[in-house]
Formats: sequence, C-alpha cells, structure tokens
Amino acid sequence: MSIIIADEPRAFAPPPPEPPAPARHYLNNAYGVWSWLLTVDHKRIGLLYLVSLTFFFTVGGIAAGLVRINLLGHNAEGHILTDDQYNRAFTAHGVVMLFLFLIPSIPAVMGNFFIPMMIGAKDLAFPKLNLASWYVYMAGAMLLVWSVLVGGIDTGWTLYPPYSSRYSHTSVTPGVFGVFITGFSSIMTGLNIMVTIHKMRCPGMTWGRLPLFCWALYATSFIQLLGTPVVAITLVLLMAERVGGVGIFDPAIGGDPVLFQHLFWFYSHPAVYIMIVPGMGVVSEILTCFSRKNIFGYKAVAWSSVGIAVVGFLVWAHHMYVAGISYYSALLFSFLTMLVAVPSAIKVFNWTATLYRGSITFQAPMLFTLAFLVLFTVGGVTGLFLATLGTDIHLHDTYFVVAHFHFVMVGGMVLAYMAALHFWWPKMTGRMYSDFWSRASAVIIFVGFFLTFVPQFVLGYHGMPRRSPNYLAEFQVYNVMSTAGASILGFGYLLPGIYLTLSLFFGKKASANPWSATGLEWQTPSPPTAFNFERMPVVVCGPYEYAIGVDQLGRGLPEPPGPGSADDPASHDGPTGPSGSRNKETEVVG
Amino acid sequence: MSASTHSPVLKHHFDNLEQQHSAERLGMWMFLATEVMFFSGVFVAYAVYRYFFPGEFQFASSQLVLWVAALNTAFLITSSLTMTLAIRSAQLGDRPALLRNLLLTALLGTAFMGFKAYEYATDIGEKFVPGAMFRQELAEAEGPLAGMSHEQAARYEFPDHHHPAPWAQALAKTNAGKQPGDAGYLSPGRVELFLCFYYTMTGIHGVHIVVGIGCILWLVQQAVAGKIPRENYSTVEVVSLYWHLVDMIWLFLMPLLYLAGAGLARH
Amino acid sequence: MNTSLPGLAERASTTADNFEPLFWYIVAVTGLGTLLVCGLLAYCCVAYRRTARGPVSTPRILGSHRLELFWTVTPLLIFLTFYVWGVWVYDRAVQVPPDAPEIFVIGKQWMWKAQYPGGQRVIIGGNPANMTEEDRAHIGALVLPINRPVRVTFISEDVIHDFGVPAFRQKIDVIPGRYVSTWYEPNKLGVFNVFCDQYCGTEHSLMVGKIRVVPQDEFDAFIQGKGGAQGSPNPVDGSLAFKGWQHFQRLQCQSCHTPNAASGTNLHPRAPSLEGLYGQTVPLDGGGSAVADEAYLRESIVNPRAKVVEGWKPVMPGNYESQVTEEELAQVVAYIRWLKAGQMIAPNDRAPAPYGAPRVTTPPAGSSSGGKP
Repeated sequence: MSIIIADEPRAFAPPPPEPPAPARHYLNNAYGVWSWLLTVDHKRIGLLYLVSLTFFFTVGGIAAGLVRINLLGHNAEGHILTDDQYNRAFTAHGVVMLFLFLIPSIPAVMGNFFIPMMIGAKDLAFPKLNLASWYVYMAGAMLLVWSVLVGGIDTGWTLYPPYSSRYSHTSVTPGVFGVFITGFSSIMTGLNIMVTIHKMRCPGMTWGRLPLFCWALYATSFIQLLGTPVVAITLVLLMAERVGGVGIFDPAIGGDPVLFQHLFWFYSHPAVYIMIVPGMGVVSEILTCFSRKNIFGYKAVAWSSVGIAVVGFLVWAHHMYVAGISYYSALLFSFLTMLVAVPSAIKVFNWTATLYRGSITFQAPMLFTLAFLVLFTVGGVTGLFLATLGTDIHLHDTYFVVAHFHFVMVGGMVLAYMAALHFWWPKMTGRMYSDFWSRASAVIIFVGFFLTFVPQFVLGYHGMPRRSPNYLAEFQVYNVMSTAGASILGFGYLLPGIYLTLSLFFGKKASANPWSATGLEWQTPSPPTAFNFERMPVVVCGPYEYAIGVDQLGRGLPEPPGPGSADDPASHDGPTGPSGSRNKETEVVG
Repeated sequence: MSASTHSPVLKHHFDNLEQQHSAERLGMWMFLATEVMFFSGVFVAYAVYRYFFPGEFQFASSQLVLWVAALNTAFLITSSLTMTLAIRSAQLGDRPALLRNLLLTALLGTAFMGFKAYEYATDIGEKFVPGAMFRQELAEAEGPLAGMSHEQAARYEFPDHHHPAPWAQALAKTNAGKQPGDAGYLSPGRVELFLCFYYTMTGIHGVHIVVGIGCILWLVQQAVAGKIPRENYSTVEVVSLYWHLVDMIWLFLMPLLYLAGAGLARH
Repeated sequence: MNTSLPGLAERASTTADNFEPLFWYIVAVTGLGTLLVCGLLAYCCVAYRRTARGPVSTPRILGSHRLELFWTVTPLLIFLTFYVWGVWVYDRAVQVPPDAPEIFVIGKQWMWKAQYPGGQRVIIGGNPANMTEEDRAHIGALVLPINRPVRVTFISEDVIHDFGVPAFRQKIDVIPGRYVSTWYEPNKLGVFNVFCDQYCGTEHSLMVGKIRVVPQDEFDAFIQGKGGAQGSPNPVDGSLAFKGWQHFQRLQCQSCHTPNAASGTNLHPRAPSLEGLYGQTVPLDGGGSAVADEAYLRESIVNPRAKVVEGWKPVMPGNYESQVTEEELAQVVAYIRWLKAGQMIAPNDRAPAPYGAPRVTTPPAGSSSGGKP
C-alpha cells in the first residue's frame, strides 16, 4: 500500500511568541446591552446565538424529561401527563430541539465565530445580515415559545396533514409560522458562510488548504440554502390550508396528503445533514489536534462532505416507504440511500486512520470527539436497517427509528457541539475550564446516552410504536431503563453549564493557543481583538501540519498540552524545553 | 488596506471594492437560488395536480381574468427594462436618470399590484374562491338545472347572466346530467384545488413584488442621499437581480395559471 | 399477562419469516463493522496515547488512495447486499397474490373496523370512548385463517393512520381518500397485536387491535356468523345470525322466550328458552319428540301450534308469518342456531314487550324459577 507523503518536511520556523494579551478585545471594547444587541461583530453574534441556543436546549431538554418520566408508566395510572399533554410535550421537544437548537447550533455559534478567523478575514461577508439572522431566529423562536405557552402543538414535529391541517385543536398556525421564520435565519447564515468562504479567503488560503471545518460548513450552507426554502413554501401551504379551511393537501377536493410528505421530507432529510455535517467538521479539527497528526485523506474527507450534501437531496422518500409511494419509487430511493451512506463511512475510516501512530491525549474535546465516533458509527449503521426496504417495513415509526436518530443527532451532533464548545472555549472567552469536570461530564454523558437509547432499539424491534404514551406492559422494563439513562444524561448536561459558567469568573486565563493547534484562529490572542488579525495573514501550508509542527502561517507550534499538565495547558515549557518543538524529530513513513 | 485610501463606500471588513462588489453579487445570486427553490415547491405541486386533473384545471384557468394578466405581464417586462436602464444610469453617475428609472420601475410594479387587486376583487366578487363561497355559488347555479339532461341544460339561459357567476353557470352546465366518473364531468373539488394554487402562487408572488418595490424605494432614498456614486452602482445591480427574478417567476407563473385553458371558451 | 419480552419477537406470517434472517444478517454485519471501528479506536487510543513528556513525534501520513478506494467500495458492496436482499423481502411483502380474498379495514380516530367479503363487520380494536355503545359490544379481532393468503385493503375516514403488525413484521400507512392494499399469509395460530404506527391524534396510542389466526374451520364458522372467534360473544355484525338477532328483537320474541333461568334471571318464562336449543331433541306435547333443526324452528315460528313442547301451553301468536319474509325467517333461524346459554338479552327498556304482553310473571308456588328448556 502506498501512503502518500508530500514534500520533504521543511525546516520549521520558531514558534511565535505569545501575543501580549490585548487591553481591548472583542468582549470588552464596548459595554452595554446595546453594544451587544446592535453589534455587527461576528464573534459577538456567535455568542448571542450561544446564549439563545443554551436556553432553547434547556427548554427542549425539559420537554424530553417530561416525556421520559411519563413513559415510566405504561398506562394512565402511571402517567404524570394526560395523553394530550404528552403529545404536546413530544412535539415541543422535537420542534425546539431540531429547529431552535440543532439546525443553528454549530453553524450559528462556531461557524459565525470561526469561519472568518479560519480563513484570515475580518468578518463574514455580510455582518448586518448576520445580526439580522439572529433577530429573525429570535422572532421565530419567540413565536414558537409563545405557541407552546398557550398550549403547544400536538401534531409531532413532522406536522402531517390532514391531522395538522384539519383535525388538531392546538395552536398549529402560530407554531408553524414560528418555524417558518426561523428558516429564514438558517438561509441567511448559510448564504453568509458560503459567500464568505468564496470571496474572503486571505492570500494563500486555497480551497485545498481550507480547514475541513470550513469544507463541512460550506457543504452545510449549500443544504441550508437550497433545502430550507422548500420547507418554507410547504409550511406556507399548510398554514393556508389550516387557516383557509381548504387546501391542496385536502383529499375532499382531490388533494393528496402524501404530497405534503414529499415536500416536507425534501427539506427535512437534507436538514438532518445540516445537523450532522458541521459536527463532522469539528471532529476533523479536534482529532488532528489531539493526536498531533495530519488528517488521513484530506481530499476524501472534504469531498465526502460535499457528497453527503448533494446526494442527501436525492433520498427523501426513504421516510415514506410505507406511506403510499409506488413500488418502483421505493426501490429507487432505497438504492440512493445506500449511496448516501458511503461518504459517512469513508469519513469514519479516515478519522480512525488519523489516530494511527498519533500521539493522543484525552482532554475533554478529545473525549467528546471519541464518544462521537463511537455513537455516530452506531447511529449510522442503524440507519442501514431503515434504508433497507425489507427491514424498514417493520421498523418504520417504531422506537428503532427514535433510537437511530437520537444516536446520530445527540450521540453525534450534540456531542460534537460539546466538543466544539470545549475546544474553542478558551479562544472565545479567554478562559480555561476545569479539566477534571469536563472529562467527567464527557464520560457521564456517554454512559447516560447509551443507557437511554440502546433499550429503544430492542423496543423498536419488538414493534413498540413511536409517539405513544400508552403502551403494552411488556415494553415497560425497557422504558424504565431508558428513563434511568435519561436522568444520567440530564445530569451530564448540567455539568458543563456549571463549570463553563464558573470558568468565566474563576477560570485560568488562556493563552493564544492552549491546544497547540494549527488553524489561523489560534494565531490570534484569546479572546481575539475586534478585527481578528493585526495584519492580513498569509497562508503557506495546509491546515494540519502537526507532524512537522507548523501552523498555517508557517510558524512553529507551542508545546502541546500533554499528560502531567492535565489542568493547566496554559503553562508549558518553551520551545527549547525537553519536549519543545525544536527538539522534535520528524519521521517520514515510506 | 490603510484607511487613507478607503473609498467611502468600502465596508470595513472588505479589503477592496472589487471584493465587496463581487461578494454582494454572489450573495444576491445565492439568494435568488433560494427564491427559485421556494417557488419550485409550489410549482412542482401544481404540475402534479395539473397532470392528474387536466380537465378541471383547464376549465378553472379559462375562467380567470386574462386581460389583467396580460397587462401585468407587459408592466413587469417593461419594469425590468427600466430597472436595467437604472443600472446604466448609476454606472454613468447620472443621478436624475437613475431616480427617474427607479421611480418608473416602482410605478410599474405598483401598477401591477393595482391591477392585481382589481383582479382579486373581481374573482372574489364572483365567489371564485375555494371553500364555502365556491360551493354555495355552484349550488345556486346547479339549482335550476336539477333534473335536466345535459342537452337541456346546455340550452338553458340563466335569467341573470351575472348571478350566479358565469363560471358557476358554465360549470353547472358542464356537469348537468352527468355523474362523477362520466366523460366530461368536472369535479368541483378539483376546480377548487386549482383555485388554491391560483391564490397561493399569485399571492406569494405579489408579496415578492411588494418587497421589490420597497427595495427600489430604498434605492431611491439612497440615491437621493448621495450614497450611490459611480463606484457603487453594484447596489443597483444587486436589487435589479432580485427584480428580474421576480419578473421571471411571473413569466412562468402566468402561462401555467392563465393559459392552461387556452383552448376553452371564456366568459 | 406476559410482562416481559422474548428475545426474538414472535413471528406469525410468511413476511415475518422473510424479515427475520435479513434483520439478523444486517445486525451481524453492522455489528461486526462497529466492533471493528470501535476496536481500532480503542487500540489506537491505548497504543498511541501520549505517555511521557518526551518529544512528541508523529509521522506525517497524508493518506492512501488504495485504502480510500478499499473503504469506499467495500462498504458500498456490503450496503448493496442489504439492498438486494431488502428488495427481495419487500417484494414478497407488498406484491399481493392475485386471487386472495379481500378484507376491508377502515381506520378512524381512534379505532379499526374490518369488513369481510360476506358483509361481516368486526371492530378490531381501539379506544372504547370513541365507539358507539353498539360498537363497544362488538370489539373483537381481525380473524384470519391460517396458511391462506388474504388481501387487506385499507382506507381512513379522517387522518393518516398506519396498520402495523409486529408479528407479521410489516405495516402500511392508511390514508384518507385512497385505497392501499397489502397482504398477509399467517402461518401461526394465536392472537397478535395491531398498533397504529402513524401519529393520528390524542389517543393514537390507544388504537391497538388484535389479529386472531384460527384454523380454517373456525374461520368458516366465524364467516357464517357463529361468533366467538372474533373475541366478542355476539354474533358477528353483518352475518346472518346478526340480522336474525335484529329481527328477533324487532318481533320482541324474548318477551316470552326469556333467558334460561340457569343464566341468572328470575323471570318465570312463558315459553321455552331458546338458548342452546338447536340440535336438541325436544319432547312434544301429546307424545313423541322432534329434533330442533332448521325445519322444526321454521315451522315453530310460522305454525306454532303444530308442535308444542311438552309442559308448555300453546300461547305463541300465529301471525308471525305475515311479519317476516322467507329470507328474514332464515336469518332468525340462523340466530337461534347461534344462541348458546347465557347469550340472550332479557327484555328491557330498549326492547320492551309489545302491548298486552306480560312483563313480569311470578313463579308458580313451589316450583323453582326455572322452566324446562
């Protein structure tokens, strides 16, 4: 087998001196509520999103807690909610978690914050559009919250008519309108990121030297741009039918409710790739940094993100195999779904190969990332059961599906979000958090997650339907197991809320590059100044040159945080110390 | 990137004007892509039902007010011309011409909306609206024809040519003496389905026209404030891209909705 | 009640038998793949963890075209085996055999109704609060014969439901405005659950039904209206016996032919109980006996004085012939054939006795409250 190495390792430049902590950085260059609410600084907007997202994650989490507690009892005797309340709770959980948390998550927080920095720009292409996207998001979110407070919706996040258009007695229209509005925020963010990456890369930052995080966000933005408008028009048509009393999905006048499903899933399937691909970008960044190696197969990983984005638009009807589509449609969509599974598999293998012969440490970002790798793999392969026609006709709409998508969305994306948060926290806030508690929370979340969702695969195989507060007694023991796991998971989520907040006040001040990473964002002080870079950076090499110890500007890297300095990566030997980069040997594998 | 050589229109986060204009143009093209996807959802839905229910859709289309649609098409195409001329005026730095062309575009857009409002008023006045109004009007037309054979009904003259509405008279006569499933029977529900599309598609398009007019008026304000010098003509170009797209969408929408029943007699 | 789940879920149809190997094959292959990845990850994390503060030295490995090709093509081929086998199972699950008898199932919020070719109707299950009182008395099961293919055609009266049968390993969305069909060939006797697998509103989770797979003879009895198989004691709605039951009540036969005393009532009957009568040999007044078959029953209705059971007075009205057609007579006879002990409903306000008929009779002194059958 031929393993490619590029040119000979060039002689490395000395590592940069630690930049002096600037007196004025983006957090303290202006004070007051209006300096935040009217900011056009992409970093502040990223933090605005962070606060909102944390709030809505909590709301969605509380809804999940209600659902799982209710599921401890298999009939009305053991319930804490009426069936109607339960239906509203799981709908709220789905809508809030998907539209208000998962879809914006990494693009709106880390994408906004770091895309310009990673490509050496001062801001995104359209800063005012960026701020507007947050306001649009908040407007839609407020409308959704309001509709939840006045009773909520009980249609499930999938909103299928005729139930949602004609039969549900809940506040469907305001809720759907809220979702509709947040969709525009998603489009704005995607547009901004795509134009930024096209037009604002600094000299030397070719497409082939872009960090994989940027490739991933580019692919995500492509989906956001082209997919979201389709669900927008679908929701408009749904609202028109509900408000007007007649519409194009109404069988009474010749309409077809299955048409809604086609239009809905045409967006909602690519939407799940909006949710996971940014996480994959984060994994590439963290794995390379914490194993001190180049990514294995940069081009494959980059193009697989694009492949997922494109092929992801061709598979929507795999949600509809039993919904009334034709036999040949089912055959076609199952085949296409098999194709879309391949790029994800390629990524997992490339990531695993990246670890090979690395030098691995296990701080919180890495633990979250490793947890992602395990849980995403399980989630991904369980998707194959649903892609396969012969098994989907049994597993469709059972807890098997619920377990599958929670594995990829929570075990995958939420863990990636946690990883990203922990990785970039020192850069965003200038503080380090507790190494011990962050590692502990990663382990607790991983264990809690497993216990919550593995029993649900069993339930699904045995046929327990989704969205069912009442179920047969023989399913109860697995439901209890699942709820027990959920309580551990909930505790695990609480921990970062505590120690990350505490770090803002009591955390050690972070250096510019505490993880010794190669990206351009780490070549700025922590926290960065308003315009990121003192002078325009010039990129001279690719993004993951850990093996030869250069960052993208061609300078050396500081000592990576290693075992022994567990709690204090900010302090390290200088470059000439025993493990300094000046003393490193570079080994080239033939 | 020193401050002293900044053009006043250069935004702080761009390195030079070329990058800025290039980014703005790309951004607008991407936005147009989202608009195309937005409309494509309802266009695809329309196409599906048009394929399944050709008779009803042709009939319903033939009952719309065609002359307004034709006039509106002329307005919009002309407005695209004036918009393009506005770009030229901006490139030449000719402020009076720029303002003139922008205002003409806005005026033509407003004329479009005005005639659209008239068209809607006509349709609503005739109860040609899906739902209870439609069914009631149709029931009134079917009343006198109950029990008649198809030929008898064809010869029947309603005492008032306008009440019930002409479309209801035509539909009732078409279906007189026929049962669902007979050749030539037009299911009223499916006619309503067409109307759902008609109002939704033209309504959403109208919203886009209004937004476009708003953007043009903003451009007028910017031009008056002197913020569109020769170097910054691309602002006009970017808005014009949007306006042209809205025009293009109409050029697809209009034949689909208004010319589907081209071969049929109109009232 | 079984409160634990078996390891392998119960299988009861040919589709389920096709599903199971495919499912476990995918489990095995994906399980192996997952273990492989996790194993490699674990190995790398252990073998390549940074141990000392010595120089950090890693090789500069950029990739390998051959490996990329390998782990692109291999997963794709594996996924395609899932696809091909999946299509095979799907094809057999959804292609309905051409001459299978058709049963209609209607879904509505929040219950299932089934209708058989002969007109028999059963409520398969659902939320009792959504049913009429009459329907509630008819909750039963979808009765299917074993080892015979049957086509089931579905439609919804309101929103989208889904008829999911875990034991058959398949489900199908039930849509308003359009018929959809699938087929089953059950191959195991027993009772199996039906769940609604498309969220349809508040009591979606109560839309639970039963399928009962019975031997062919029991199925035939069910079709003829003998009842029981569908799970409720009443004659199957739509069957001959059911129609006979309605005539029986219309004609108020039970005002005299009150239920057998042994069934717990204390009314002194003025006429023999008809429960369990069919097929019995009855002693006749004036000697001799007769077997209570269809002919005897018919004659007893149209010409009641011809044969009077020993110990009873000839008081049955003789004008019923003018009140029933021949077809209706056959239905009444079918009902009496169906009647078993404890099944007759006593006269009550819903089916009052005709004007002039005795409502309550006191038992003669010294005798038990029962009468002879």
